[in-house]
Amino acid sequence: MTDIIIQYIKKEILNDPDTTLTAQDDLLGSGLVDSMGFVRIIAFLEEEYDITIPPTDMVIEHFMNIEAMSNYVAKLKG
Amino acid sequence: MYLIQHSILNSANHYPDNEAFRYNDKALTYKELVEQSHQLAHLLISLGVQRGDRVGVYLNRCLETAVAVYGILSAGAVFVPLDPYAPPSRNQFVIQDCGIEHLISNKNQEKNLKNTLTENLNVKSIISPFGADSISPFGGGWGVDFATFCANLNTRTFTQKNLQKSLSTKPQICILEEDLAYIMYTSGTTGTPKGIMHTHRSGLAYAKLSADLYNVQSTDRLGNHAALHFDISTMGYFTMPYVGGTTVIVSDIHTKLPASMVQLIEKERLTIWYSVPLALIQLLQSGIEERDLTALRWVLYGGEPFPAKHLRTLMEQLPNAIFSNVYGPAEVNQCTYYNLPKPPKDDETIPLGKVWGNTEILIFDENNNPAKVGETGELLVRSATQMKGYWDRRDLTEKNLYKREKITGCEEVFYRTGDLVRICEQGDLHFLGRKDRQVKIRGYRIELDEIEATLTTHEAVDSAAIFAIKNDDEAYINAVVVLKKDLETSDLKLYLSEYLPAYAVPSNIKFIDAIPRTTAGKVNYKILKTS
Repeated sequence: MTDIIIQYIKKEILNDPDTTLTAQDDLLGSGLVDSMGFVRIIAFLEEEYDITIPPTDMVIEHFMNIEAMSNYVAKLKG
Repeated sequence: MYLIQHSILNSANHYPDNEAFRYNDKALTYKELVEQSHQLAHLLISLGVQRGDRVGVYLNRCLETAVAVYGILSAGAVFVPLDPYAPPSRNQFVIQDCGIEHLISNKNQEKNLKNTLTENLNVKSIISPFGADSISPFGGGWGVDFATFCANLNTRTFTQKNLQKSLSTKPQICILEEDLAYIMYTSGTTGTPKGIMHTHRSGLAYAKLSADLYNVQSTDRLGNHAALHFDISTMGYFTMPYVGGTTVIVSDIHTKLPASMVQLIEKERLTIWYSVPLALIQLLQSGIEERDLTALRWVLYGGEPFPAKHLRTLMEQLPNAIFSNVYGPAEVNQCTYYNLPKPPKDDETIPLGKVWGNTEILIFDENNNPAKVGETGELLVRSATQMKGYWDRRDLTEKNLYKREKITGCEEVFYRTGDLVRICEQGDLHFLGRKDRQVKIRGYRIELDEIEATLTTHEAVDSAAIFAIKNDDEAYINAVVVLKKDLETSDLKLYLSEYLPAYAVPSNIKFIDAIPRTTAGKVNYKILKTS
């Protein structure tokens, strides 16, 4: 799952498939992804993994990096 | 006190150990802020920076912004906030337009800087105020790759190590309250942004007036949501230091995750919040009812109207806080306020309210005659918080001013806001729209003509028209385009995003055969909006 999310972000959000991006990189705090980009990532996760992310779950612990996102999505899918 | 930086000197005298700025779990006391700002100022002066020179602040929301602002001002220079999220071409324009030779930034921005800096820009140095062992979570030392990249451009890099060698005494410079303090760039109609120049006088006048109006104290803690390039941030960067209070810089990541943001308001025991309405609306579905936000005594919003239905819900959630609608174009910062006595009953727009101190207004009809009570007219403002003008745009500055001489030899200069207002019998101002084609998207000012001008520079575009449509209280930008050769709408969106901030890229682009025009040959926006 981590790889799929990394590929999506590189290609669709950063428009740079050749860039280096790891599961631990700080996505939101580093200026890599802006607000609109973040909204698109949420939409991608919901569609790709058939989940609904409730607003109260939109916290740093779940979205600080791709590793955290994968763990959160896995937990949500149960 | 007549310079903006006098605020931190004064507060360091009275409250040396008060926290001036906080970011996540890190903080700078007034004593530390003064020391570090002076070190930065001495470094800048040693690099040849003189009074009035423009120094860029290329940082996202972080603690370094405070040192950057006060370091630059203490050197007698002018700070120019740059938005690292904006397209590189836009920042390149600003750097060139006002001749920025020095940047304050940090390691975090290396990637963006590499995409922005070129040899023609002539940036001589980049300074990271915090070092590797310091309070920056990312470390202030530059990466080897980046240092090499800069060396190739003949750009020198500096870190905290260089700063620590600088003096922390107050630099001796000659500077007056009427000298420039900062320039904020905003959307311009001709396709490039324009720089709004503010002086120490206008910046400090804002700090004094806002501190008085909201009775801001040294015990207050403000949640600063706006990035430095947005004038809403002046309360956090000027007003709080003026009173010796604490500005809590809301991190980029918190602004994107409302459930974390509401936790932050609780944890930091914020007493004042100031942001665009959208940030507050996002709080509504983020578990706000489970949080103890009773410390909040003021909620200020500005930048655009707050839809009454959301405002009502939020006010019911926060019964201890007084809500204030803040209004004023960046050219005058703030000029009116409306403190809501109770949650709005119906869905009517909230008034702009009454004019604040040290400010005079006129409402003019199309023939520059005063409009009567209840009549619609353009709002003109004369204020202590007024800008000096647009950077290097004397023509544009003059065009936006109205001058009169009621007493011989005493010229009164008003700024023409372009906002249409009316004054009601209770004396409150009401906003009715724009005289021109400026719109607000999520609080950001956008000139639709700037998007149109940018779109028509694409080789495949014959002509284009841009218009905004309101849907469910939010404005959306639409484009219709006549093509010279085949193209996808996504190509055009990508092209625009290279030149315009993300919020200015149209949500919908439609290809048509011809732009509808009026009999006079002008674009018929009425037809476009209804079809």
